[in-house]
Amino acid sequence: MITVGAGLLQEALEAQAVATTPVEWRPPLPGTADALARVLADPRRTAANERAVARLTSARPHLVGVRRASEVLDLDGRTFLHAGPPVDWERASGPMRGALIGATLLEGYAHDEDGARSLLESGGVRLEPCHGRRTVGPMAGVVSPSMWMFEVRDAEHGGLAYCSLNEGLGKVLRYGAYGPEVLDRLRWMDRVLGPVLSAAIALTGPIDLRALIAQALQMGDELHNRNRAATSLLLRELAPAVVDAAPERAAEVLRFVNGNDHFFLNAGMAAGKVSTDAARDVPGSSLVVAMARNGTDFGVQVSGLGDRWFTGPAGVPDGLYLGAYGPADANPDIGDSTITETSGLGGFAMAAAPAIVRFVGGEVSDAIAATRSMYEITLAEHPVYQIPGLGFRGTPVGIDVTLVARTGLLPVVNTGIAGRVAGTGQVGAGLVNPPAEAFTRALAALADSV
Amino acid sequence: MTVGTHARRPRTHVTGAASSAVRPVLEAPRSPARVLAAFSTGVYLEVRSDVEPSVIALITGAATRLPNSVLLAAGLPHVTVGDEGWVGDGCVQLGRLSLRAHRWWDPAPPLGPVDPLRLEQAAPRLTVGSPGLAGNDAVDLLAGSCARGWLLGVMTAAEQLVGLGPGLTPSGDDVLAGLLVTLRHLGAGTGTERAVWLADWLAATVTYDARTRTTPISATLLHCAARGEASPEVIAVLRGLAGRQALEPAVRRLHRLGHTSGSDLAQGIAIGLSSVLALGGPA
Amino acid sequence: MSGGTGDVVMGDVVMVRTGIYHDSVALMRVSKALTELPGTEVAIVAMATELNLALARDLRFDLPAAGPADLLVAIRGHDVETATRELDRQLAALSSSRTQAAAEQPPLTTRSAARRPADVVLVSVPGEHAFAEALDAVQSGLPVMVFSDGVSVEREVLLKRLADERDVLVMGPDCGTAVIAGVGLGFANVLRPGPVGLVAASGTGAQQVTSLLDLAGTGVSHVLGVGGRDLSAEVGGLSTVRALRMLDDDPATELIVLVSKPPAPEAARAVGEVVASLRTPVVSALLGEGDLTEATEQALRALGRSVPEWPAWPGWSGKAVTGTVRGVYSGGTLCAEARLIVGRGEFVDYGDDAYTLGRAHPMIDPALRLEALAKAAPGDVVLMDVVLGHAADPDPAASFAHAIARCPATVVVALVGTEGDPQDLHRQAAALREAGASVFTSNAHAARHARDLT
Repeated sequence: MITVGAGLLQEALEAQAVATTPVEWRPPLPGTADALARVLADPRRTAANERAVARLTSARPHLVGVRRASEVLDLDGRTFLHAGPPVDWERASGPMRGALIGATLLEGYAHDEDGARSLLESGGVRLEPCHGRRTVGPMAGVVSPSMWMFEVRDAEHGGLAYCSLNEGLGKVLRYGAYGPEVLDRLRWMDRVLGPVLSAAIALTGPIDLRALIAQALQMGDELHNRNRAATSLLLRELAPAVVDAAPERAAEVLRFVNGNDHFFLNAGMAAGKVSTDAARDVPGSSLVVAMARNGTDFGVQVSGLGDRWFTGPAGVPDGLYLGAYGPADANPDIGDSTITETSGLGGFAMAAAPAIVRFVGGEVSDAIAATRSMYEITLAEHPVYQIPGLGFRGTPVGIDVTLVARTGLLPVVNTGIAGRVAGTGQVGAGLVNPPAEAFTRALAALADSV
Repeated sequence: MTVGTHARRPRTHVTGAASSAVRPVLEAPRSPARVLAAFSTGVYLEVRSDVEPSVIALITGAATRLPNSVLLAAGLPHVTVGDEGWVGDGCVQLGRLSLRAHRWWDPAPPLGPVDPLRLEQAAPRLTVGSPGLAGNDAVDLLAGSCARGWLLGVMTAAEQLVGLGPGLTPSGDDVLAGLLVTLRHLGAGTGTERAVWLADWLAATVTYDARTRTTPISATLLHCAARGEASPEVIAVLRGLAGRQALEPAVRRLHRLGHTSGSDLAQGIAIGLSSVLALGGPA
Repeated sequence: MSGGTGDVVMGDVVMVRTGIYHDSVALMRVSKALTELPGTEVAIVAMATELNLALARDLRFDLPAAGPADLLVAIRGHDVETATRELDRQLAALSSSRTQAAAEQPPLTTRSAARRPADVVLVSVPGEHAFAEALDAVQSGLPVMVFSDGVSVEREVLLKRLADERDVLVMGPDCGTAVIAGVGLGFANVLRPGPVGLVAASGTGAQQVTSLLDLAGTGVSHVLGVGGRDLSAEVGGLSTVRALRMLDDDPATELIVLVSKPPAPEAARAVGEVVASLRTPVVSALLGEGDLTEATEQALRALGRSVPEWPAWPGWSGKAVTGTVRGVYSGGTLCAEARLIVGRGEFVDYGDDAYTLGRAHPMIDPALRLEALAKAAPGDVVLMDVVLGHAADPDPAASFAHAIARCPATVVVALVGTEGDPQDLHRQAAALREAGASVFTSNAHAARHARDLT
């Protein structure tokens, strides 16, 4: 017998030797009671959520190509994409500005840093969120026309999604670094890495990322902060084709991919994006289809509310720092990589990745607790992404804003930490709490839509 | 010299849920009782009383809810065989424990009307497993006599079976208990008066001297079965046969009871089922 | 130890250890622990990758040759020895594997709890939040009792319509009493199993009927509460109809008693049609068309059982009765029944929402009724109910005895309960009688006694 509420009534049942499951009920997030009642009473909600989460979990992302952004994303008239909800230069944080400067220099829109700054300040480059263009980008997530993108296709529902190629760790554009070595690496990626991978995937044919992610979970990745197994698996698929496609460049390409445990992250993000996009635009659904940060705001999008963003201030991650860096050096939360959590991976799959649990502050049990807690705010268990340590239970997937409001439990997000000063690069990694108001605002909008 | 200062051990007041079969003995005036057996999930208490059931089982949630049991809302008291206690005036007192029922359940819930055709179709799905007395002559005699409604044969077989076999509940008693409960419930449900009549005679036979012929626990369970009272596992199989719930899972749960108890009860149920069908046929 | 900054106090330690591997996160934790030591300014403990070597070089550490398979340690501070000892301790700790069983996540919503095996949900959270939990139950295909009040009638209708689709019963909202196969939910009495099933739009009404049945030795199969508004025009008896059908299908139920205030005409028609179609006979106990005790007697006769003398302990207070009857009730239906029978006087239902806002129900908290007893005038008759059972005051006689003894008015008590109740009916009756009250197990009889006194 399930009891929720007065302890006295539960005790009376226990005195009758009735086995009870008490719910650890707590009042919903402040100010949400009315909106909750209206949204819960929406007759469309249950079926809409079932449909939306079924589309999310049935998506079958395949890596089908590596293509130039200018070919596939309409970035004419000097448009850059960026991570998170919309932001302008004025409100952009250090690493976001750094990445925008780097991309301006890379594209040759300006010849030096000052030129880039004044161009960006004057609005000479149009800024748009990646999410609006079937794209996701890690950290600053800046995409400019010349960059090469993973192209991922949902073999189930036919959608497409894109994500840039991962530059590696250290001083890189996505963390807002734009020094000469950063631009040199990007130019090499433009000249060598992109074309070679593109040719290689033309030879391998589509690579089943759903199967690859499922395997990586069983090999200790959670696919956000740990992509070591997934990168190895992808490399295994690609290596022969890379050699066939470009024998004289193969060694440097493979060495580059092999040297970066996070190389898979970007492909995995595109897989997450194509899956969550499949769940968009179901009227009445309270399913979260995007969580993303631009270094200033944390935003969510909800299936039943189209492309509207609901935001709150991005928090500073709590984690471990590289070298002598500390919390004072950290930028507020940034990047579209929360698409992994949105699609049931990353922080939601922490229990699969005991190797990185110390981010949570300690023990394997904390990671298991993190994953278990996420079942409280999600609509489903993933049919294919499973966690061996939980008896192959599917990962918690499909965040429901009503459940977030009811439990007060916010999504667990694993993340890298960018330096707050443009050009610094990565300073650490850890966990971050999304702002509750992003979810309560979405809930209020859902209530208005009933 | 010190005067003994043994602190009086405080009573622990515990509540629970009891089979309504034990209500008479629980509400009778207080009588002494003694621990017959103590296991991790149950304590059997024999009450010096003429009221049946004279043995009551104090159990935890993990144990089988025998028709003579009281389910405790807390842990079992630490007692050993031979410990003394009291039962009556609405209360069980054993060691430091003082127990009262806060809920009563019916160990013989009515089955309601049962369609004989449905029973006939369900009969092959009642698997008997490997009962302790497979191939025993007395069991065969019991089965044959029941189906023919031959009272003398039934009573002869029953005489031989009471107390037959090893353990706390000998196999012979379990077969008879399964049979009695089935004749009562399926007999009443299908309106087969001959089956109910047979149950009355069989009940009188097995309870007449059960207290001297078998273990006290088994004798009590025979008294319960004579009134149609059984554990939920047995009732669930009868409900399954009647089409009121899934049969196969119920049969599997029954077979998990005891060493051969589940199979022995199933054998008794099977004999009862055949008898009800045979006796209820076109006269 | 190598290098140095030239400072007398500050020192650098740089070590390269081979054959040790730890993942970067584990090592970042070690770095953090060392950096937090008071004698340490900077500590880097990391695998000697190009990135990490560069970081250390940027901090002006003097580094020996090392590769990515080596562990690099670079510590600066005025107490590097402590830091080194801490390093060894931390690395040793990393090597000893620790596995811990993670604690189970307790369910935070009914939806989550329903993933485990369950058969019924009991909701008693504050009214404005009850809808969410009840909806979870219905959507999980579980019957639910909503003890909470304050759920709007629109949501009640929505809940009950959904329940019809899912083929489950919604008991409530504002359902105080249910008994399912002997299990008492909310305010319910300890009842013996038996052939009578109840469908009740009134909790205390159901308690009166079932307690009297139990005193007559007749048990109950189930008491299915439906909530006080179920038979209103808006709700139209949705749960009543469902509950009646459920009891009709229950082999243990031989007779159904329907306890309610007179229903709205629309609901009465719907319920009437269903009652006519049932195989099981139905006795209606509709307030105003007779009292609950009469309905109980009718049920007993319908079962062919004899009607006993309802236990009563009438007393003579010796006090003159010159005033009026004051009903001081905790049960709404009992209060209404008594008011109808007495026909005059002042009746207050302290279980009404107006009195329970921000305090416990008067069946649990006697405070308001103690005040009312103290305020009664000499010459008045105080007519009150004392309801026993699960979740009620564990010893109401003890709570009221003193106030009754000191009350200048004559006190008549309707004691609703069974011999099996945790409070012990006979002990309660004796204590109340001792205090000077006349005690009746039938509320109707208590009311008539009070009426006849004035």
